[in-house]
Amino acid sequence: MSNSHSENHDEVTVAGFEVPKSPDSSYNNVYPGNEDEARDPPMVPSHLQHTLLNYPANRDTAGTVPLPQNVILNHLYIENRESPRSVVALGFTHRFHSKYVTVVLYKPVQRRGNTSI
Amino acid sequence: MFASVVDGACEGSGVSGPILIPRRFVWPYGGTTVFLTGSFTRWSNHIAMSPMEGCPAVFQVVCNLMPGFHQYKFNVDGEWRHDDQQPFVNGSCGVVNTIYIVREPDILPSILNTETPGRSHMEVDNMEANPRMPVSDLEVSRHRISVFLSTHTAYNLLPESGKVIALDINLPVKQAFHVLYEQGVSMAPLWDFFKSQFVGVLSAMDFILILKELGNHGSNLTQEQLETHTIAAWKEGKFQQFRTLDSNGGSYPWRFVHAGPHECLKDVALKVLQNKVSTVPIIHSSSEDGSYPQLLHLASLSGILKGICRHFKHSLSSLPILQLPVASIPLGTWMPRVGEPNGRPLAMLMPSASLGAALSMFVQAKVSSIPIVDANDSLLDIYSRSDITALAKDKAYARISLDEISIHQALLLGQDATSPSGIYNGQRCHMCLRSESLYKVMERLANPGVRRLVVVEAGSKRVEGIISLSDVFRFLLG
Repeated sequence: MSNSHSENHDEVTVAGFEVPKSPDSSYNNVYPGNEDEARDPPMVPSHLQHTLLNYPANRDTAGTVPLPQNVILNHLYIENRESPRSVVALGFTHRFHSKYVTVVLYKPVQRRGNTSI
Repeated sequence: MFASVVDGACEGSGVSGPILIPRRFVWPYGGTTVFLTGSFTRWSNHIAMSPMEGCPAVFQVVCNLMPGFHQYKFNVDGEWRHDDQQPFVNGSCGVVNTIYIVREPDILPSILNTETPGRSHMEVDNMEANPRMPVSDLEVSRHRISVFLSTHTAYNLLPESGKVIALDINLPVKQAFHVLYEQGVSMAPLWDFFKSQFVGVLSAMDFILILKELGNHGSNLTQEQLETHTIAAWKEGKFQQFRTLDSNGGSYPWRFVHAGPHECLKDVALKVLQNKVSTVPIIHSSSEDGSYPQLLHLASLSGILKGICRHFKHSLSSLPILQLPVASIPLGTWMPRVGEPNGRPLAMLMPSASLGAALSMFVQAKVSSIPIVDANDSLLDIYSRSDITALAKDKAYARISLDEISIHQALLLGQDATSPSGIYNGQRCHMCLRSESLYKVMERLANPGVRRLVVVEAGSKRVEGIISLSDVFRFLLG
């Protein structure tokens, strides 16, 4: 009778419910090298590149541009031009109630020559 | 059977009450005894109609009515009937005739000639019916459009995501027009950094005036100074000039016209019309003293008209005036007919005319566009004030003389300069026929960039008139 009880205990462990062994690779990961830590973080988040300032605002489109991503709202953008110009464009996109407005203001660039004089 | 009311009693009721309008009712279909009843008699009193002398089949009576809508019906020999030649509706009281009385009293027609009573009578009826329909339809249409414009605000004009260009007043004028050309816009609000306020608008007309100033030999402004002449200095000089003109009563003083986002569309439209501008900047300030203003949009009549067309698109029957052809409405500027006096002639030019002549016409005739026609007055093209920004391409304005370049050459320059993203790139002349309905004209004027339609003759494209956005709004707002 005791042997029978012991045998029943062994039979309770069903094949599908056995505890699996831990994989060997779990304990073999290499520590990250110093290369990643040496690299500087980006100057600005990359998704700030998705600005609306490059879309035309001419009268044919009635000044309509695509909907902005939330991350670019309330940021001041300054136009980046390769060749120096006497005019600079400042851009700003904000939300007014349930609509979005992008304003581009063109300002003269202060000449350094005048300042030095 | 029915208690008859004496005509004198009906006449007498108008003595001490508000102003009543006399109206003649006619029943031309015969009978022995005819009574008139309606909303103006509370449908209880029945007014006996008298047969016309020498015309026993025609009954008539004159009643004094309050201005507004009325319904009426006839009782002919005990049978209720309506006049199906007059406006009628099928209402709760059955089929009844309707009439709309305007404030101006009608001129009573004279007694008909007894020689040909039937024919003269019909002619008089037709003459009465036709002019009255547009008057009442016009009042109904104007009222409904006024209600729509008064219950919607400038905020509704803002697109879901919009972009607007502004210029600093210390920017050189030359650079400003390059910006307008590059961005494909014809005007921009002006920002004063020191005042922290928007103080005005720079438009194509300013560029036209500057070019004319450069063209004058005695001008103080030279090409070199154009490089450094700022918008502020130009506006100040223009303001002084207009102040002189204003003392002569010749022009409007320069001042900044703008609106808030919560103003109703009717106020915005009236600002455009009364100040003779083409756009009104929508500026919002969260503080009460107007500081820290936010530029939201440039409102124009085409945006408002688009809202009207969208709103009434599926209920055009409620605006009967929109079904009429544009030739039958006092709207727009038309070629003068023989013997008909016209206060404002239609300005046109040939393509060989000089650009200077076009610019002078813009300034003196106070028009914003000029149809370009051939020797037979057939439409070839159109030159608008906003086309002047095309001269910013490759600095064309510095290389040409206004009187030596022709409109044809200026238009060729403009074609190259058209924005490639423009929806209406291939179509510069927007035309319509005199027989087209007002709604069709409004739908096309609601497209951005279309500010006017030239009315042409079918086939020959001979210019007959021109209808602009402001013409339509002046007509609808009354």
